[in-house]
Amino acid sequence: MAQAMTDTEAPPGVPATAPPPVRNRRRRPAPYLLLVPALATLLLGLGYPLVRQVAMSFQEFGLAQQFGTADPGWIGFDNYVEILSDPTTWAVIARSVVFCFAAASLTLVIGMGVALLMRSISTVARLILQVSMLAAWATPLIASLTVWNWLFDTRYGVVNWLLVKIGFEGMEGYSWLANPWTFFLVAGVIVVWMSVPFVAFSLYAALTQVPEETLEAAQLDGASRTQRFRHIIVPTIRPVLSIVMLLQIVWDLRVFAQIKYLQGAGGTVSETNLLGTYLYQLGIAQSEYGVASAVAMVMLLLTLGLTFGYVRSLLREERAS
Amino acid sequence: MKNLTRLAVLGVASALALTACGSSDSDDSASGDKVIKLWLAGETDTPEALTKWLEKEYEADNEGTDLKIEHIDWGQLVPRLQTALSDENQTPDVFEVGNTQSPTFTSVGAFTDLTDKVGELGDDIGPESFVEAGAYDGKQFAVPYYWGSRYVFYSKKAFADAGIALPTTLDAFNTAVVELKKKSGDKNYSGFWVPGQDWRNGISWIFANGGDIAVQEGDSWVGKLSSAESVKGLEAWKNLSDNASAAPKDGLDAEAWVPFNNGEAAAFMAPGWARWSVPEEMAADLGGFALPGNDGAAAPVFAGGSNIGISAKSKNQDEAFALLQLIYSDEYQSLLAENGLGPANPEFTAKMGEDEFAKSAVDAASNSKLTPTSPNWTEVETSQVMEEFFGKIAGGADIAKTAADYDAKLAEILNK
Repeated sequence: MAQAMTDTEAPPGVPATAPPPVRNRRRRPAPYLLLVPALATLLLGLGYPLVRQVAMSFQEFGLAQQFGTADPGWIGFDNYVEILSDPTTWAVIARSVVFCFAAASLTLVIGMGVALLMRSISTVARLILQVSMLAAWATPLIASLTVWNWLFDTRYGVVNWLLVKIGFEGMEGYSWLANPWTFFLVAGVIVVWMSVPFVAFSLYAALTQVPEETLEAAQLDGASRTQRFRHIIVPTIRPVLSIVMLLQIVWDLRVFAQIKYLQGAGGTVSETNLLGTYLYQLGIAQSEYGVASAVAMVMLLLTLGLTFGYVRSLLREERAS
Repeated sequence: MKNLTRLAVLGVASALALTACGSSDSDDSASGDKVIKLWLAGETDTPEALTKWLEKEYEADNEGTDLKIEHIDWGQLVPRLQTALSDENQTPDVFEVGNTQSPTFTSVGAFTDLTDKVGELGDDIGPESFVEAGAYDGKQFAVPYYWGSRYVFYSKKAFADAGIALPTTLDAFNTAVVELKKKSGDKNYSGFWVPGQDWRNGISWIFANGGDIAVQEGDSWVGKLSSAESVKGLEAWKNLSDNASAAPKDGLDAEAWVPFNNGEAAAFMAPGWARWSVPEEMAADLGGFALPGNDGAAAPVFAGGSNIGISAKSKNQDEAFALLQLIYSDEYQSLLAENGLGPANPEFTAKMGEDEFAKSAVDAASNSKLTPTSPNWTEVETSQVMEEFFGKIAGGADIAKTAADYDAKLAEILNK
């Protein structure tokens, strides 16, 4: 922020008359005041719970403390020791990280494919594609989960029916959610399906920024389709790619509703918990608010750790431009 | 300066706009009436006719009050109560909670102590197991709201066509439903619908063989799923899951009547109110009987139903008790019974009717059992430990070994 304020150079390509003189800008309170509501809401909405969460993670805090029949005692790192020495926690973390990267990568690959497709098809086809993706994106979560659950229903689901029709007799009456592997397969399909539209639209927008002339020139110089993609398209849209990947990792790491819903529809809870549902189980189902806060802190650190690289490269790109 | 004021207004306005999304919708009581909040579990578990009656009578009896009844989905009930009950501005004044969930709340002081006032509600309230579930440390915190019991619904035609008489022992029942499936010759047909994760019905096979979930020995809870009796029950149940049922191995107890209504199952087991989910045109074919035990009497079934009590943080303790009294009034108890919900006052049980369904309900309730009365039992339910256990047994896991594993899990949770 401070750097931006003292930066006296006008951005390239903008007429010199556009930005008001720096001297003037500094005196104006408007930009700061406009920040106040956002900051205040953030502090109130996120800051307070975060402080409370940090405090609680060092306390013995359960239902009795919640109802005021016992005082929360400070117990140092006991909650952390408890969760980190529990193999369940590590299994959940490993499962979450693998699921997160698998889902995020798949989303990005499919999203990229759809974005490239949108560039090369006719307007009518593109509009149909865009509208259907918007519809998928806009469907309320629980409504679409219900439909997916029906699709994979053991007895009446169209997926099992279709698989039997094309010759996989063994799939008749198959319980997709009972086995953790197929559970995550179904969950992955749902999560990816829901995230692809956003990625595809963002990347499509980025692709419009790739200069046609450069591509044409490269083509004339004999660059193949793959070469053009790798050396021209990808570097141009890299900032968008990184930010979309960053968001996907954050979203897929804290995936909750999809897993929770499928667990309720037949999944084996203890073998399918990801960080979000594990946290919910500890905090809400078992009322172990202290232990759950510690897990939430670990989850926060994990998110920061996983995204650190992306944030750093984003910052570097910003500085470079 | 004028600019600054305008900006400040802009700032405040936008902050308000951001928070406005979260504000709750307002109620019709603009007249300044005192609002009494009643939380009932489930969207339709207490029928609309009953809630309408409560609202009308309560507001007529108590001038200047507005009774607001909220239906909380069962899945949301415990989390919502955990947060709302501890805050006097958010708490419902009176709330219903599942019978097995009550120990969680009695043990932390969420309920007002009703020990001295129970007498004013009735002399002989029950069922006894519900009263026990509502007590803690020698004090009475919650009282029974209604009870229901699980019994078997069956198609008279299916049994008659197969030439199978109604079974009078559990062994005969087990043989009969396997036979029904075999005779149908259809692998998608169920003689008896047994979803794999449906522990609330499956538990009857454990109980009927003398087994149990967990018992208190001295100061600690010991899991009993791996006892010889329980394993025997589980084996019988697993046989039904494999040979009498086409239900999914990961299926739940919800909507057990769907395959029956589709003509794909000859029998299913569910709480008495399931009867109203079978369509009118099939009613003539629908019969009911209490699951028989091997001693000739009814097999022990899992007692369904709820307790009700007053929130300790409620600012309207007197008004809340008045509401509890209204719920225990003769009229409301009759209404409960007439709607198929077992009344807390046994004088009105007869009002449940004379037909085979009412008889089955009362028979089944005569031998009903509750889950372990540990305050931590709710955690077993919310973590779906029992669903997992039954699902694994149905899926073909080794019974003795799995039972021992889950005994350890139960002990760990119940002894926390």
